[in-house]
Amino acid sequence: MNIEQTVIRAMRGVAELSDCQLIEPIVPDTLLLQSGLDSLGYAMLVAQLEEELGIDPFTELAIKIYPATFAEFVAIYAQGLEQTRY
Amino acid sequence: MAEYVVVTGASRGLGLAICRDTLASDLSVVALARTYSPELQSLSEAYPDRCHFIEADLADLDALPALCKSIVKRFGRPYGLVNNAAVGHDGVLATMPNGEIDNLMRLNVQSPMLLSKYLLRSMLLNRRGRIVNISSIIAKTGFNGLSVYAASKAALEGFSKSLAREVGKAGITVNCVAPGYMQTDMTGDLQGEKLASIKRRSPLGRLASVEDAAAMVSFLLSDKGSAITGTTMTVDAGSTA
Repeated sequence: MNIEQTVIRAMRGVAELSDCQLIEPIVPDTLLLQSGLDSLGYAMLVAQLEEELGIDPFTELAIKIYPATFAEFVAIYAQGLEQTRY
Repeated sequence: MAEYVVVTGASRGLGLAICRDTLASDLSVVALARTYSPELQSLSEAYPDRCHFIEADLADLDALPALCKSIVKRFGRPYGLVNNAAVGHDGVLATMPNGEIDNLMRLNVQSPMLLSKYLLRSMLLNRRGRIVNISSIIAKTGFNGLSVYAASKAALEGFSKSLAREVGKAGITVNCVAPGYMQTDMTGDLQGEKLASIKRRSPLGRLASVEDAAAMVSFLLSDKGSAITGTTMTVDAGSTA
């Protein structure tokens, strides 16, 4: 499963857990805060991905601005995973 | 391991009493402190499967994300967090060293915020959890020589109220316990007439003990405390009545 699929699966899981309705389809330009997840759901997504992937790229890469779109969000995880390889 | 609570400043005083009381319920404890005191060691020996010590200097803020990650990795998702670790330098503000102010605010305010940030993520996924922040009656009453300490505790109370609103719908409660003067190492300098006067003025004619305050923490951690959030529970033998 690639990182994009992992994030989408985690989004679905979190939406179900927090009783949110996720929009379909999630595309690269989808704005995360308009994806159906509220800000707490977004925090849960970061928590879920930390459990699955073992990284919190926002803390580890000291990212100051949280990404707006799905593509930007995925790119940060890709960068975080890349970094853990070295 | 059974559901567990992370307790900071666990080696002595109130933190140790909280560990003892929590272990007496069905919860396990991950005890954080700079030193492994003989008292905490005995407690770990009495509950070898349920009381785990981790050495940590919580004023080292940069180390907190990794610390939380290692706790979750080793023990699973925490049920609760008790932010008890604090320093209480006293002295008039005009001559208090700036480094002391900085150190106090790091340990008493920023550290509980960061521990809450990283440990409540697991609670969000569990859709249940408890955060208890140890404040002090000084946050509201004030006390000569404790202005910075008082500010740090008032900050924790404000933090707790807002965080309670933020995470309530995920089934997580956030509260403060505000003890009055207790005879611990932190208040060891409070002696003689000053101490006698505090006891005399208290409606119950005594000080609250660390066990009294720990019992309130246990209550908030228990199922019985599930409807209490965003508030401060005072345990002071009536001193502020």
